[in-house]
Amino acid sequence: MVNNPILSVKNLEVKFKVRDRVLTAIRNISLDFEEHKVVAIVGESGSGKTVFTKTFTGMLDINGEVTQGEVWFEGRNLMEIKDDKGWEEIRGKKIATVFQDPMTSLNPVRTIGYQISEVIMKHQGKSKEEAKKEALELMDKVGIKDPERRYDEYPFQYSGGMRQRIVIAIALACHPKILICDEPTTALDVTIQAQIIKLIKDLAKEYDFTTIYITHDLGVVANVADYVAVMYGGQIIEFGTVEDIFYDSRHPYTWGLLSSLPQLGLKGEELFAIRGTPPSLFEKIQGDAFAPRSNYSLKIDFLKEPPIFNVSDTHWAKTWLLDPRAPKVEPPLVIKTLHQRMLDMTKKGGVYGER
Amino acid sequence: MRGYILKRILKSCISIFLVVSIVIAMVFTMIPRNKVLESDTSYRKLTGDTRTSFMYSKFEELGYMDYLRLNDMCTNDSDNYEACMVNGSEENLKVISTYENKGYTIEYQRNGNAFAYHEYNIFELIWHFWQRLIVIDGPNAIQDENNPDLERKIYIEKDFNGVPALQCSGCKHKYLVYLDGKFPFIHQNWISLNFGTSYPTKAGANVLDVISEGQGSQVVVDTEFPTGVVVQSAYDLHTATYKSAIDHLDENKFDDHYANCYSNYESPSMINTSYIFGLVSLVLAYALGIPAGIYMSRNKDKFGDKLGVVFINLVTAMPSLALIFFVRSIVVNFGVPDKFPLLGFKDIRSYISPTIILTLLSMPGLMTWIRRYMLDQSNSDYVKFAKAKGLSQREIFTKHILKNAIIPIVNGIPGSIILCIGGAFITESAFAIPGMGKMLPDSINKLNNNMVICLVFIFSALSIFSVLLGDLLMVIVDPRIQLSAKKGD
Repeated sequence: MVNNPILSVKNLEVKFKVRDRVLTAIRNISLDFEEHKVVAIVGESGSGKTVFTKTFTGMLDINGEVTQGEVWFEGRNLMEIKDDKGWEEIRGKKIATVFQDPMTSLNPVRTIGYQISEVIMKHQGKSKEEAKKEALELMDKVGIKDPERRYDEYPFQYSGGMRQRIVIAIALACHPKILICDEPTTALDVTIQAQIIKLIKDLAKEYDFTTIYITHDLGVVANVADYVAVMYGGQIIEFGTVEDIFYDSRHPYTWGLLSSLPQLGLKGEELFAIRGTPPSLFEKIQGDAFAPRSNYSLKIDFLKEPPIFNVSDTHWAKTWLLDPRAPKVEPPLVIKTLHQRMLDMTKKGGVYGER
Repeated sequence: MRGYILKRILKSCISIFLVVSIVIAMVFTMIPRNKVLESDTSYRKLTGDTRTSFMYSKFEELGYMDYLRLNDMCTNDSDNYEACMVNGSEENLKVISTYENKGYTIEYQRNGNAFAYHEYNIFELIWHFWQRLIVIDGPNAIQDENNPDLERKIYIEKDFNGVPALQCSGCKHKYLVYLDGKFPFIHQNWISLNFGTSYPTKAGANVLDVISEGQGSQVVVDTEFPTGVVVQSAYDLHTATYKSAIDHLDENKFDDHYANCYSNYESPSMINTSYIFGLVSLVLAYALGIPAGIYMSRNKDKFGDKLGVVFINLVTAMPSLALIFFVRSIVVNFGVPDKFPLLGFKDIRSYISPTIILTLLSMPGLMTWIRRYMLDQSNSDYVKFAKAKGLSQREIFTKHILKNAIIPIVNGIPGSIILCIGGAFITESAFAIPGMGKMLPDSINKLNNNMVICLVFIFSALSIFSVLLGDLLMVIVDPRIQLSAKKGD
């Protein structure tokens, strides 16, 4: 489906041992990531977004385990790497990660310069002076003014936005092929969010990496993503280009997610919320995981897991509604008028439509 | 930063002042002072007027009161000494009533002689302590009627070792600042602390000398005295102090009045003894405890960690006395003495078991804390990010976690080092080590008031300043802490 995949996930399953119980966090995901494109993974908390991407760098917590599946990257199956030593070749060097909270991502008692040049020395084997030179360039690239002076400062002397810039600089220090951004802007205020997103976007062009965004923020998705993967209950239930997902979404969960955008709410109307709670991943899920919460569920949704139905070359969804035998269902009004609503909204001042 | 430090020092001084003042007030008002004399054998032998007189003069010496015999009163306040000394005479009564008016209590001995005393109140007691505490030596310190021609000057001259020293004539000490081969190599007698005299144990000796002077037998070597005479002697000539009445023996050795010297002893003083044990075991405890704690945190829940936890629990749970006897009974089998004095200071084997025990006792705490700090830090986000950067577990531990985890440990280091001199009471008593540990309980038992006050002063001063030092050390390891006190903060 995807041309030129840089990272290819096949039948991935991840289980966690919590006390004496087993939790299946990722249930059989297959997905290809196209090189140089931006893929956004969206979904509610606990849907497995972070766990999914953590498997690419072997960063699962101790009690987590990949029980099945393959992740192919540069001609090798990453799931065959068993120890940290092997992962060190990938982490930071080939696949870098930017975490949510820049306030705590940096070591408080090491200088900014140390923390950047450390990676350069480790992965590129450069000397201290060369590493410093490169670190200063990077700091300049990510928009730190007067890097020479700020090189020897400590994280507490930086603001939140500045720190996230440094985190990005560290992530890019070794020119990774893939940058995983795990909610990179959640902890930042709105004006800084836009700056950071623009920075990542610009740097992606310059450094030529593939970006994987994990986010709750559909505004960010609309702004930067080429592809969107919607996750629910440890599975990707719909995948497509950003246009596919926003204007032609097919899965009831995606509809619910888009309807829940608070920006789309009209004055005087109650905001939309998906009823119920996500399924417990401790138990075996039968049928469509979203069925109990869906307004469109069919009988078969409770019995059999839906297969992947292709909508177009770039768009697929896992819902029985796409089966030819299923009754024809109209998506909710909000979804149908989403485009118009978003245009209306941005008229009052917003970023949508800039793309 | 300088402002902050000055402020802290000032605050520390105030704290010390308050603590010591409270202790002075407690010691002088709450300890029954008659009991102080009871253990004095010479007092017990006395009877009648001499006993009364001895008691009051002792109380005066100990700082309880101002005591005046009849002849003191007459010398001070009467023009006609002879008439004043006659009981019942007009002059006599006049002098007595002057003292009565001054607030003195007048009592009469059996022979009819009057004496007066004035008991100091708490504020006077505290004031007397602080005003005599710091003694600064100067060329006018000695006022000797027998030696009116004493030269008064401070000068730099080579001492008997040929090393320049700041010397003085007219001061109490001959050598104000001098260098020698003993740690810390530069010494001074210029400023000294006076805590009064020890009584009833080591009666008459300066309190500070009791704990800081060497112990054991004197070291006698051939010594060349200022006059050029070479005699077998234990004198440390650098400690020469003024002696008013010099005899011909002194004249033979010394060319001036500075003929009182402290001796060299073969064994270290109480403070040094405790310090040797404390410091060695401290270094061992840190050298073993910190790596052990780090190892445990790196291998959390694995065998090594569990073993460490068992060790910590065992040592913590066991009463220290039980541990002492346990260790002692084991090491005795290897030819190590079970009491310190058996082989004494010179034999290294004397030090083995106390050091092992002191090390064992302080290790569990260190291990627990470092393990805990390391684990706290390993769960933080920056460790996750460091891992995502591709650093190895080892690099993360040594370059990132350790520096964060060590900060709270560093804070306690000056305190542990300085307070070594406090000695370890139980261990020192179990091995009969002549150290500082037993001093405080002993002097409290023996009602050695000046010693108690002196020790409280030393310990509180050292504790407070080691906290300050610990905080200053934190500034060096933790860049987030800055001492510049901003206005409005």
